[in-house]
Amino acid sequence: MTTSISAGDELPVFELPLTASVIVAGAIASRDFMPVHHDRGYAIEQGAPDIFMNILTTTGYVSRYVTDWAGPDAMLQKIAIRLGVPALPGTTLRFSGRVVSAEAGVVEIELRGATDIGDHVTGTVVFTLPVAPGAP
Amino acid sequence: MTAEPDTALRARLEAFVGQPMGASPSVAPDPVNIAMIRHWVDALDDRNPVYLDEEAAARSRFGTVVAPPAMLQTWTMARPTIQGLAERGGAPGPLGPSALTMLDQAGYTATRATNSELEFERYLRPGDRLHSATVVESISDEKRTALGAGYFVTWVTTYTDTEGGVVGRQRFRVLKFRPAR
Repeated sequence: MTTSISAGDELPVFELPLTASVIVAGAIASRDFMPVHHDRGYAIEQGAPDIFMNILTTTGYVSRYVTDWAGPDAMLQKIAIRLGVPALPGTTLRFSGRVVSAEAGVVEIELRGATDIGDHVTGTVVFTLPVAPGAP
Repeated sequence: MTAEPDTALRARLEAFVGQPMGASPSVAPDPVNIAMIRHWVDALDDRNPVYLDEEAAARSRFGTVVAPPAMLQTWTMARPTIQGLAERGGAPGPLGPSALTMLDQAGYTATRATNSELEFERYLRPGDRLHSATVVESISDEKRTALGAGYFVTWVTTYTDTEGGVVGRQRFRVLKFRPAR
């Protein structure tokens, strides 16, 4: 858990090795049954090199990345993400981020999740932390 | 594809802008529940204790277990008919007239989500029953992308609880494109 957060702080890097299992588990847990997220032959027919992570799972990992660092009292107000290259089995998704602003218990994070061929996800997360009594 | 942009198609698509999307409004098949939260937590290996650990959640600002906020969209996802999966177009079930089906029929059969912007008014608790209402916000002109020619379709969903209180909002954008083989 992070006790004090300031603009410019870097979040520790989180590396997620991607397997078909990771991608399929996320797709089904998020109730996304589009075959491009679980059926390799279908994904290739649709012009993709393999099955790829669905956006709900990407959003879930973005949320996890922030709260793993900020702690269980972080309450997300906003997750805004944009997808780039697909997240494919056999690659590693490497999350990094930094604090853009931290004032009065409201923290804004800018982050990215990159693979070896480019950014899979870039975006912003805003969360609040309980403000301690007597804090400015 | 090097064809001229289909202005007739573009005009027909425009009629969907500002209109409710698909089966909207919809009601979550199940209330927010521990079983689906556990499935999510295990799938993403997210060990934030406020999602499942009642004692840790009671000590937190939330006071009780809460659903992972990123699950917001999951609760109202349609129940799929897996056999045939909408005749392999990938939709959970037969789709009514919509901008997406019109694009499918015009050959823009592939879908890639490009943007998701979620806002949370409050965290959901087990027992909450979600309703969602979705409106098409905009449809782009035909764009040439690295994936192929396609249209960006953007919609906005408002999520409410049984009392009608807004619990969250989402702006979501997909590219519907002709897959380059």
